[in-house]
Amino acid sequence: MNNLARFNLAKQVKLYITKGIQDILRLNSKLKIGMLILLVISALAILEPVINQAILGPISPITPGIFKPLLKPSREHLLGTDLLGRDLLALSLHGLKYSFLIGIVAGFLSSFIGIVIGFISGYKGGIYDSILRTITDFMIIIPTWPILAILATYIKFMRIEGLAMILAIFTWPLSARIIRGQVLSLKERPYVDLAKVTNLSDFEIIFLELMPNILPYIGVGIGNSVIGAVLAETGLEVIGLGPGNIVTLGTLLNWALGFGAVIMGNWNILIAPVLFLISIFLSFNLVNVGLDEIYNPRLKKVTGE
Amino acid sequence: MKRRSLVTWLLTRIGWYILTLWSAVTVAFITFRLVPGNPIGAYVTQLMQQGKYEINPVEAEKLINEYKKTFGLEGDLLTQYICYFKEVIFHHNLGVSFISFPTPVQVLIIRALPWTIALLSETTVFSWLLGNIIGIIVGWKRGTKVDSVVTSLALVFSQIPYYIVAVVLILLFVYITGTLPPRGAYSSTLYPEFSLTFFLDVAYHAVLPSLSLILVGLCGWLISMRSLAVSILGEDYLLFAQAKGLKEHRILSRYLFRNALLPQITGLAIALGSIVNGAYLVEYVFNYPGMGYLFVTALGRLDYNTIQGCVMLTIFTVLTAILLIDITYPLLDPRIRYGGE
Amino acid sequence: MEKVKLLEVKNLKVYYNSIWGDYKSVDDVSFIAYEGEVLSIAGESGCGKSTLVDGILGLIKPPGYIPSGEVIFEGKDLLKLSSEELRKIRWTKIAYVPQGAMNSLNPVIKIEEQMIDSILDHTNISREEARKLAISRLKEVGLPVEVAEMYPHELSGGMKQRVIIATAIALKPKLVIADEPTTALDVVAQKGILQLLRSLKEDYGITVIVVSHDFAVHAQIADRIAIMYAGKIVEVGPIYDVFKNPLHPYTKGLISSIPVIGKSYIKGIPGLAPSPLNWPSGCRFHPRCPFASEKCRNVEPILKEFNSERYVACHLSR
Repeated sequence: MNNLARFNLAKQVKLYITKGIQDILRLNSKLKIGMLILLVISALAILEPVINQAILGPISPITPGIFKPLLKPSREHLLGTDLLGRDLLALSLHGLKYSFLIGIVAGFLSSFIGIVIGFISGYKGGIYDSILRTITDFMIIIPTWPILAILATYIKFMRIEGLAMILAIFTWPLSARIIRGQVLSLKERPYVDLAKVTNLSDFEIIFLELMPNILPYIGVGIGNSVIGAVLAETGLEVIGLGPGNIVTLGTLLNWALGFGAVIMGNWNILIAPVLFLISIFLSFNLVNVGLDEIYNPRLKKVTGE
Repeated sequence: MKRRSLVTWLLTRIGWYILTLWSAVTVAFITFRLVPGNPIGAYVTQLMQQGKYEINPVEAEKLINEYKKTFGLEGDLLTQYICYFKEVIFHHNLGVSFISFPTPVQVLIIRALPWTIALLSETTVFSWLLGNIIGIIVGWKRGTKVDSVVTSLALVFSQIPYYIVAVVLILLFVYITGTLPPRGAYSSTLYPEFSLTFFLDVAYHAVLPSLSLILVGLCGWLISMRSLAVSILGEDYLLFAQAKGLKEHRILSRYLFRNALLPQITGLAIALGSIVNGAYLVEYVFNYPGMGYLFVTALGRLDYNTIQGCVMLTIFTVLTAILLIDITYPLLDPRIRYGGE
Repeated sequence: MEKVKLLEVKNLKVYYNSIWGDYKSVDDVSFIAYEGEVLSIAGESGCGKSTLVDGILGLIKPPGYIPSGEVIFEGKDLLKLSSEELRKIRWTKIAYVPQGAMNSLNPVIKIEEQMIDSILDHTNISREEARKLAISRLKEVGLPVEVAEMYPHELSGGMKQRVIIATAIALKPKLVIADEPTTALDVVAQKGILQLLRSLKEDYGITVIVVSHDFAVHAQIADRIAIMYAGKIVEVGPIYDVFKNPLHPYTKGLISSIPVIGKSYIKGIPGLAPSPLNWPSGCRFHPRCPFASEKCRNVEPILKEFNSERYVACHLSR
């Protein structure tokens, strides 16, 4: 990069930061609430080892037979215990940690793939676009979840990274679509032509001109990917599929269903996983909608002529 | 001129349909075969363990080969592929179920399919129509208290997975109030027949599963319709309609709704896949005897052929439904029907 | 001939609220439109012309708002009417030909439908009669009858504009406000539209207010012209007088920047148009005015009568 470009880059970074701060101050309420919930959940997930240490000591929350089974909520066990004598609060927090973790890892992986593909598709156009777009649409339209389920049936043991990888492979089209759409509409804008005329390289055009306007959509893409990943993963766990070595909120729901907890009305077994799951989905969704409201030009309020 | 382009479009679309269908089922087929592990072997081992037999390798081998022949698993991938599709297309034979041996898979599917299609149709139609209508009204009244309340509620509900709503509904209505049944499509005491009692009973059992799907779906359509409405409200022709002093109901229906409907139809086609996914899980939670329940139980029992049959049929049904929706689109969008300048 | 006031705008202000403050797009504008004339409102982009039109017609949406002002039409203040009363006046008395008429037609319903719905919603005549009325209007604007059965995307830009005008005069209103009616049209279509607008006044006695940044438009059809700058009216007068003898420095600058065949150079107006967020102090034109004085920087000039027909807002015109 020549000196001019380096200077531009520094200016650009400063612009990002100031714009970012301006934008945070402009946050609409949905975004704020969403981020708040997200903060709470992340805190719970990160602090889970500490909390569980406090409740159970060094024992893992999924170990059965520690306490008496099916206890009602009490001071010792805030949510009671399940059929196998496990403290429900500790168990739920454990599940939350893994659901959240997998969601984030798979989500970021998935959105990374989606962003790269969406970008190439939108920016390069032509044959690249045709092929990539066909693949993307193909994967969105076809119910891929049954295929994922088939894969999951035969995989009984897997590490988190592997699981995240597989989830990412099935969920990247969600963000690819959004990014492609945005890149396409930005490509038409005059400043890209201007940049082309002033001889900036493709790389420079992407980072200096297009990126700032795509960032919010990248955020939305990540949000969608995380939601998609958690949905897929939980959906698998609920019916009993998926790696048996990882305990997530979906697994907890599956166990609960297996005990007949729903029929017997043991709401204490269900309440924490259900609430945690709803919070994960809700928070990411609110952040998405908030970002969309701020940055979508059609929804933006017009000023002046 | 106009008619020719429409026919070309139709043919192209059907061509795409066949291509997509073929690729999808091929991918599904290959996924099956590529998965590590020998399902027959596992199944036979399971059988032997159940019967508390010792695992005699020679006998097992013979048994495995027998089963392979019956279940069409002989030969390499290509042979199996051709063999399978020959059976499916020409003989409507999807193989035999492992678990409910010797019931053919297609019988199981035919028993289950009507329940799923009925459930899906009524819930999709309800949630899409109602969601869109409420969405338009709320979008038109954006900024008011009604709008904020409804939209916030819808936001919360739209992202909850169907099966979680199902679980909560069961807790509420079965455990706490005991008013609705928690499982099945009809009472075990009744026999399927064309009688009013039976239909009422079916409806009674369908309430909770339907609600699980409708509540969430409705909110989703509400939100997307609302943001569509808001963006259309910014369009010039909407402004002109207001400048013309048209009555409110006319602007709502002929200017706002008619234009917002088109993208929502496309949206329906795209969402169909995930609606089906969600419905399957709801069926599982309610033990509702549809394709979803069949699929999930087959997964649990490693009933190879049934799993395969279900996946194939799901792909086929979804893609066909999408094709049908796509074909109705030009009827509503004059820009496609009469390709302009 | 006695001039009858048709529309009187008094001290109208239209502001847009934003987190950075108020955009004062229309800042205390007053003018009168007389019956049977073609009044032009001219000015650069961004001076507030379109916002003025929206304000008069009651089409201002949040974050826009009207802090003060009156729009008197047939004795009533339009800004104070209820939405139903305003709705009844719309189209029957006051019609609007919007900027970007290309997109003002509903893409999914036929032309005929779009013309009829305004007729039906304002009168009690039958659908069949409304249809006949629409067809006759189409003929009056020079369009073939077949257009009625078509959809908007099948028409050219010029034809769409004519359809809009035909819709506008469907109920023979007293006033038609046209906002940039010729932008985005080719020259031939432009001439046709302008002739059409002129004929509205000449053949039907409809008062026309034309808003445009293009002086060629005003030169061809206007009777009187009002020049807008920075949210205010700076000069008003009969078109010929203003062209021949512009009083306000801004008007002088505008007229001298019109390309004339024969002249080898164009003199423009130096500087950039100011932002509605932060109008300059005193006379808003002072940063770009070659004659600006100390008084111009500090004291805002008021639109005052120069002689019986001309008004100007400038300290230097006394």
